[in-house]
Amino acid sequence: MMLMPPFNLHHPKTVEEACELAATFLANKESFDWVAGGTDLLPNYKWHINAKTHVISLANIPGLDTISMQEIGAMARLGALTTSENVHPLIASAASKVASSLIRNNATLGGNICLDTRCFWFNQSEDWRRSIDWCHKEDCGTGSDCRVIPNQNTLCVATYQGDLAPSLMVLEGTIHIIGPNGPRSLPVDEFFQLDGITRNVLQEGEFILKVTFPENVANRKGSYKKLRVRESWDFPEAGVASSWISGDPSSLRVASTALESIPRSHQEEVDAHGTSFSKEHIPQLSEAIMKSIKPVNNTALPPRYRKSMVRVLAKRSLREILGD
Amino acid sequence: MAGGYRQQPGASSGETRKDGKRVAGKQKFPPPGSGGSRPTMAPRNLDSIPESVGGKEPQPAGSHIHDRYRTGTEVGKSRALVDSHAKVTGQAWYGDDVRLPNEIIGKILRSPHHYAKIKSIDTSKVEALPGVLAVATGADAPNTFGVLPVTKDEHAMAVEKVRHVGDLVACVAAVDEATAMEALNLFEIEWEVLDPVFDPRKGLEDQDEPIHWRGKYHVGTTNVQKRVFQEFGDRSLVDDPTASSHGKWRMEGVHHGFTEPHAVVAHWDPNGRLQLYTPQQVPHYAHRALSTVLEVPMHQINVIRTFVGGGFGGKSDPFPHEMCAAILSRKAGRPVRINFSREEVYWINRGRHPSYIEVKMTADEEARISGFDIDALIDGGGFASFGHVTSYYNGVLATAPYELGSFHYTGARVWTNKPASGAMRGHGAVNTRCAVEVGLDEMAEQMQVDPIDLRLANLLPPHSRTISGFRITSNGMREALERVRDGSDWDTKFRQMPLGKGIGIGCGFFISGSGLPIHWDPNRFPHATVHIQIDMDGGVTVHTGAADIGQGSTTAVAQVVSEVLALPIEMIHVRSHESDTSPVDLGSYSSRVTFMNANAAIRAALDIREKLLNAAWEMLGYHPDVLVLNDRRIYYKHDPAVGVSYLEALHKAQEDKGSLISSGAYRSPPMGGVHKGAAAGLAPAYSFSAYVAEVDVDIETGLVSCTNVWAAHDCGKALNPLAVEGQIIGSCHMGLGQVLSEKMVYGRTGHLQNPNLLEYKIPSVHEMPHVTPIIVESSDPEGPFGAKEAGEGPLLPILPAVVNAVYDAIGVRIRELPLTPDVVWKAISAKTRSLGGIDETELPSPRLEHSPLQATLVARGQEHRKRDRRRQRSEDTSAYVNGVLFGFDPDRPLEDQVDGWKSAVEPVPEQLAELGLAGKAWLKKEQRQMRGGQ
Repeated sequence: MMLMPPFNLHHPKTVEEACELAATFLANKESFDWVAGGTDLLPNYKWHINAKTHVISLANIPGLDTISMQEIGAMARLGALTTSENVHPLIASAASKVASSLIRNNATLGGNICLDTRCFWFNQSEDWRRSIDWCHKEDCGTGSDCRVIPNQNTLCVATYQGDLAPSLMVLEGTIHIIGPNGPRSLPVDEFFQLDGITRNVLQEGEFILKVTFPENVANRKGSYKKLRVRESWDFPEAGVASSWISGDPSSLRVASTALESIPRSHQEEVDAHGTSFSKEHIPQLSEAIMKSIKPVNNTALPPRYRKSMVRVLAKRSLREILGD
Repeated sequence: MAGGYRQQPGASSGETRKDGKRVAGKQKFPPPGSGGSRPTMAPRNLDSIPESVGGKEPQPAGSHIHDRYRTGTEVGKSRALVDSHAKVTGQAWYGDDVRLPNEIIGKILRSPHHYAKIKSIDTSKVEALPGVLAVATGADAPNTFGVLPVTKDEHAMAVEKVRHVGDLVACVAAVDEATAMEALNLFEIEWEVLDPVFDPRKGLEDQDEPIHWRGKYHVGTTNVQKRVFQEFGDRSLVDDPTASSHGKWRMEGVHHGFTEPHAVVAHWDPNGRLQLYTPQQVPHYAHRALSTVLEVPMHQINVIRTFVGGGFGGKSDPFPHEMCAAILSRKAGRPVRINFSREEVYWINRGRHPSYIEVKMTADEEARISGFDIDALIDGGGFASFGHVTSYYNGVLATAPYELGSFHYTGARVWTNKPASGAMRGHGAVNTRCAVEVGLDEMAEQMQVDPIDLRLANLLPPHSRTISGFRITSNGMREALERVRDGSDWDTKFRQMPLGKGIGIGCGFFISGSGLPIHWDPNRFPHATVHIQIDMDGGVTVHTGAADIGQGSTTAVAQVVSEVLALPIEMIHVRSHESDTSPVDLGSYSSRVTFMNANAAIRAALDIREKLLNAAWEMLGYHPDVLVLNDRRIYYKHDPAVGVSYLEALHKAQEDKGSLISSGAYRSPPMGGVHKGAAAGLAPAYSFSAYVAEVDVDIETGLVSCTNVWAAHDCGKALNPLAVEGQIIGSCHMGLGQVLSEKMVYGRTGHLQNPNLLEYKIPSVHEMPHVTPIIVESSDPEGPFGAKEAGEGPLLPILPAVVNAVYDAIGVRIRELPLTPDVVWKAISAKTRSLGGIDETELPSPRLEHSPLQATLVARGQEHRKRDRRRQRSEDTSAYVNGVLFGFDPDRPLEDQVDGWKSAVEPVPEQLAELGLAGKAWLKKEQRQMRGGQ
């Protein structure tokens, strides 16, 4: 059986209360986790991975689950995103590809953005991880080496396998964060931060409130292509999202996920084509995107294959939005 | 309860409504046995009574010995399984549902090392932890056990050394799970880490410290657990072939992926007897092993089989955790429960062997298959389990359904420091079958003939003998092939579809029960025994030890008893859970249950039937030969008004005796050759199957999706067509997993990387093709009402059918399973590179232009079709042995008529140099041949 380690569950009723709670724990040097839908955190707890003594649930805070074209609350359930008519079709389609319907009914947008990075040396039970003498991401105080790329002890290369991040990036979303030190907001592109342990810019005590989109987001046409072995349950082995405002090459955005420790915006490769981008350039751009990423061997499919597939996914995604 | 037996006392008069319908609860208590709430018995259902005894049921394969006991009640009707209500309402009690008063929780300490000696274990801190009630280590149970008597190499917990990560080291029982888990951290163990072996090819080499030591039978100082050599037929036939195929395969290990993790509860009752609750496929072997390990006589142990949440072979070994629970419970004096996590399930494994298989085959100028040359190196993991048998099955189960000029097999199973492989649905036959069927496809392509016609012209007929001496009785192979060909519209699709779409064929051959029981018995114990008991209430209690693991064996037994006694199935109560009350049954493995157990049940029911008819004879004055049983009534054949109710006859039969009790047993007849290993693969009957699969391949990503499957399986006679279709569709799903996505991944360090159901990729409903199950009924002369197995055989053909279909789609032969997208993509890339770096979309699709041989094959197939029909219907009863196709006289021993005819079970020294990978195991000598040894 999988017995979770014991923890104290807190249910703040307002955002302010949640921040106060977090501030108190920080002041007392007590560790805690946020939980939204729990579909990522609790499986890790069952594996005794990074379990904390306190867990603060955001479920009872009203108003965090807004869904509209311009704004999606952090607590919006992925299941609701797939069925809501008032959401960008790209988000709906990306959300519908996450895990299974049971999980989508519980999982949230905020949780999916903040998904912990994954690695087959890490997402294992305690007994299993003991048998490899732990790993860098969860070293249990042993200072263990990374098992994916041995003999380096500075970087965690666990893979970020969230489905929604690239879509939020190509729709030019802005993330709104709140914490004991007040609110702040930043583009989704800048939210993620290397490495597999750091993951993102959230400071301790901070959590995501919502994601907003520019006024003209409805004009954007988008497409998300996901590589996975099974049509259900599986995390992406590679994912590419793209969008543009039809006819305007300067508005083209491409982003990828599930290939490195953070999702990546490929603005650099897109910009290399300047404003002259058209259908004929799809193969070149896809090739350039493929060359820019460096997957490692820690998911179900081998890295070389995943890398090659980026070209196919990018090509298919771009063709879809440019109209083939 | 429609059609059920409902007998309720109501008001005195039979009230009817205005529309003539009777009012429930206001009816007369009906006369006993006259049809329950129905005042008259149901009319005889002639549609379910065979033609040979005057009914209307067609019998294309001829009559059957059980025909005259058919009453048209249950056999051949689609029935929901009798335990389905318990399951769908959540009332079935699985291993984890057992809750005994005062029970405590056991946890197992598992090895963090691949291979290590245990120098010392200090348990003092564990014992000192408050809440810990018992601690046990290997020292508490020094006796070895194992499912096969010849290879008992397991201990309850590691004695001396651990053999894989996750091997059992010690166990602890505590008041709750949290305490038990805390206690696991307090064991102090001193290890001496040894060099592990992961690659089975390395296992063939001599080692300082072999994983097990077999004494004088140890092969050199290697890790070879079992080696097999078999050679039959005329090896000179393979020279100058018209077509040949040579394939080297790499197949990954797969796990059963059953839903229910292992769970066990052990309890020593106040009388000092062990009560063990476990979801076991083979309770009897667990019973034996418990007795050995605990040093308690078998009659002081009661093994209670809970409902089994899927087994597929993965719950058929006696397991060390069962011993641990019993040992802990004995020490603590309280019931102990041990539940596994999914990861522990993968660590105990017993899944399909990871294999290296090499198949060479040749065909002569008439497209006859002149030789199979198979070499199988299989990775057994840390323990023997069923491996002895698997080593044989990898070869011998390829000797049919085709007629062969010669057969050559070398096999070896090696120990490695990984979780033990064992028996899994399609035991040992699946991987080689896939390799063989793909080889045939390749030969058909070389000869430019249709692969279905190639098969149809090379089949063994019914009532024949294979090259290795198996007795084939009924054989529906030809019909299966013909029906999938028609069903799938094969002739307009094969080699005619566009790039990325393909269609492929595969066949299967499997045993229906193993001819020899695993525990060889000098006393000729039966393989299955069934007791029937009927008391005055008329309900029939059937006691059987057959383990229903979801395949429906309980339903099959209830159906055949119901059929013989002409009683509704609701009156049959099957009791099969406890070894205290069940007769010994060898359990659910090798697809034996329905065949053997239902045969035993029929015999027991016939005994009861005779007693009932004799009683009716006394009451009616008509001899049993002219009495008919139908729906709770026995009557005179020529005047149905003259008769007695079932209860009247029953009560008469019970005069001065009490309950009617009978016992029936089944033991398979003596069969087969006398060579070493002749018993492996012997079965009282064999099942045959043929599948056609259609696939879509995404040529850019290599993703394969199977869209349609036409699945024909010869199960002799479908006792319950619904259950057979379920088995066929379920087998497709399981086989698809192995061919498309499932594998146990052992990474760079030898650790199992995916011991969970997210990363171990069992196909979801989205990956499931549309399966058209086709039931072929060849009416086996020895099967119960003609039935043969349908549980394992249907899995075999799906693998080669898909692999062949992928070839048809992209023109690339891939010999690596599973066909995960990266494997397919790699193969496509290699092909496009070899064609000068063309785009994937420009790959040529394979096309077929028939050669003149095609006409020869079609003609021979037609001729054999007539031959088979005559033999199937016993119009032709002449002998037929493998080799007649090559012009041999079936009535003279082959050795006398063919110079080169061989039957060898050991290589001659000249052969040693040319043996394949597994054959290298024969380069070493056994210890006894080397004088001395350890």
